[in-house]
Amino acid sequence: MDGISITLQHYLFLAALLFSLGVFGVLVRRNALVVFMSVELMLNASNLTFLAFARDAGMDVGHLPALFVIAVAAAEAAIGLAIIIAVFRSRGTVNVDDIRTMRL
Amino acid sequence: MLTLPTLTSTDFLPLWPALILSAGACLVLLSEVFLSSASRSFQPLLTVIATVLGALVAAATVFSVPTGVFGGFVVLDPFGSLVSLVICIGVGLSALLAPAFLRGRQAERGEFYALLLFGGAGMSLLVLSNELIFLFINLEILSIATYALAAYLRRGPRPAEAGFKYFILGAFSSAVLLYGAALLFGATRSTLLPQMGAELARIFTDPTLSDRQPLAYCGLALIGAGFGFKIAAVPFHMWTPDVYEGAPTPVTAMMSAAVKAAAFAAMVRVFLVLGRGIPGDALLTGFSTLAFLTMIGGNLLALPQRNVKRMLAYSSISHAGYLLVGVASLFVKSGTTKGGVLGVTALAAGATPDTAGALRGILFYLLAYTVTTVGAFGVLGALERRDDEVRGFAWDLDRLAGLAQRKPAWAVAMAVFMLSLGGIPPMAGFMGKLLIFRSAVDAGLVGLVIVGVLTSAVGAYYYLRVVVYMYMRPAPEAGGLPERNLSTELALVLSTVAVVVLGVLPGITGTWLSRGGSVFLGR
Repeated sequence: MDGISITLQHYLFLAALLFSLGVFGVLVRRNALVVFMSVELMLNASNLTFLAFARDAGMDVGHLPALFVIAVAAAEAAIGLAIIIAVFRSRGTVNVDDIRTMRL
Repeated sequence: MLTLPTLTSTDFLPLWPALILSAGACLVLLSEVFLSSASRSFQPLLTVIATVLGALVAAATVFSVPTGVFGGFVVLDPFGSLVSLVICIGVGLSALLAPAFLRGRQAERGEFYALLLFGGAGMSLLVLSNELIFLFINLEILSIATYALAAYLRRGPRPAEAGFKYFILGAFSSAVLLYGAALLFGATRSTLLPQMGAELARIFTDPTLSDRQPLAYCGLALIGAGFGFKIAAVPFHMWTPDVYEGAPTPVTAMMSAAVKAAAFAAMVRVFLVLGRGIPGDALLTGFSTLAFLTMIGGNLLALPQRNVKRMLAYSSISHAGYLLVGVASLFVKSGTTKGGVLGVTALAAGATPDTAGALRGILFYLLAYTVTTVGAFGVLGALERRDDEVRGFAWDLDRLAGLAQRKPAWAVAMAVFMLSLGGIPPMAGFMGKLLIFRSAVDAGLVGLVIVGVLTSAVGAYYYLRVVVYMYMRPAPEAGGLPERNLSTELALVLSTVAVVVLGVLPGITGTWLSRGGSVFLGR
């Protein structure tokens, strides 16, 4: 079959795109939940990069980081959502721009 | 076929402080199940005992020979042991500050101390990590504990906001660091730091591998940026003032002392091990630029602050800048002269970079800064009243006015901390600056040291302003006095004595500190 073969580069470009989208989301989006999802996107971009390189090098051990990162991301999600709920309870909004009682 | 490695007791030697801290945390959590709210006073005691034990065990490993254990994932070296010791001291002193603070807010719970100890265990492991994924996990252990602590008084608007900002920026920076690690893994095909360092050296010398150089540079830059957020270096410092101001004061003390020490030590280890193979001045330029920006930015932003807690947050940024001068001097290669503010100026022919000396300077500075900053936040935390917190002037300079008449001993302690932060002899902060600047001058970073000394002079203004308010302004009429509390006073006495003793007799750390320059770099 002479279709397009998926190479290491394709995975890496996809991961870089996901990472950039994540950074863009953190910097631009104003809803706390969307910001948080953007951070998760960045973590998944790292996972994809790890896996692509590990597969390219034929290293089975290289797959392990992704598993650890998934576990860490789950723990981070638990604490992050708890904090977002605490913010929502104390002010009734999760808009990043409104969360600003402290000034220079 | 994968075989399980055989582990000996040496493998566990560096892990003992972290194990003790985790065990203490589990005990505190378990005790919470069986207790009524009246009998919680021993939880801080348990916490302090755990940190003291951890500190003693860390101290016992200071004289060990640097080796890699656990298949190279963990290192046993004096540098790591000494930073573990500093972390245990920082966590222990912060725990002493907590009981009075929490009681005043009806928030005495075992979770607080358990989170402190779990965070401490993560920090202690972080400085011993010799593998990037292990390092990332430890960084997350300490960060997750600290996110929860920052938002601990969740009913108030400020702690929730502080926790939220810390969480978003912290998670963002961890993700940046992880992506950098993934790119470096791609370039070097390993996650063990020593192997990566050797592979990087090959990438930069072997022309057939030169297509991996951009990958290596991107990875290093992203890891550097991730650490930049964690240590609050300008331009990655935006979160610091809000988080430090909003977090409960004992937590702020812990963040500015122990968390910062751990992140700094981990950064030093990563770049020392990886940086050997990188030719040219890339790392030196990066770190000296960061140091330059951080010293100037932190000090200038602290100048107009009337809010003392916020001023101390900016001051912690500027202290990260002085430490970065020490870090930059680690990466001066002998025989380079470039000139300029950020570059190397050889004062005398044959100025040789002294890596061990610079590491000792960084260690002493971390120790001095830990005891000073915990003490300063401790005084602030004891003086603040809950009803002012919501309105946000709990930490105004006026709150300290006339403290010398109301509470002479506290005023003396606060004055000692301020003088030490300002780097005025005979306090510990002065000796720390002296050691760091001396090793930087030895390495030839004269321009950077001049900037450092000038910005310290700027810093003296806002530190001494606090002293002026305490001693030369009349006390307000309705100034209520804080309740006496044994553990708060113990923490303040301990840190005051430590600041003075380290400043007057820095030699007492001599034999220990002299070991601190030895870092396990791998084979």
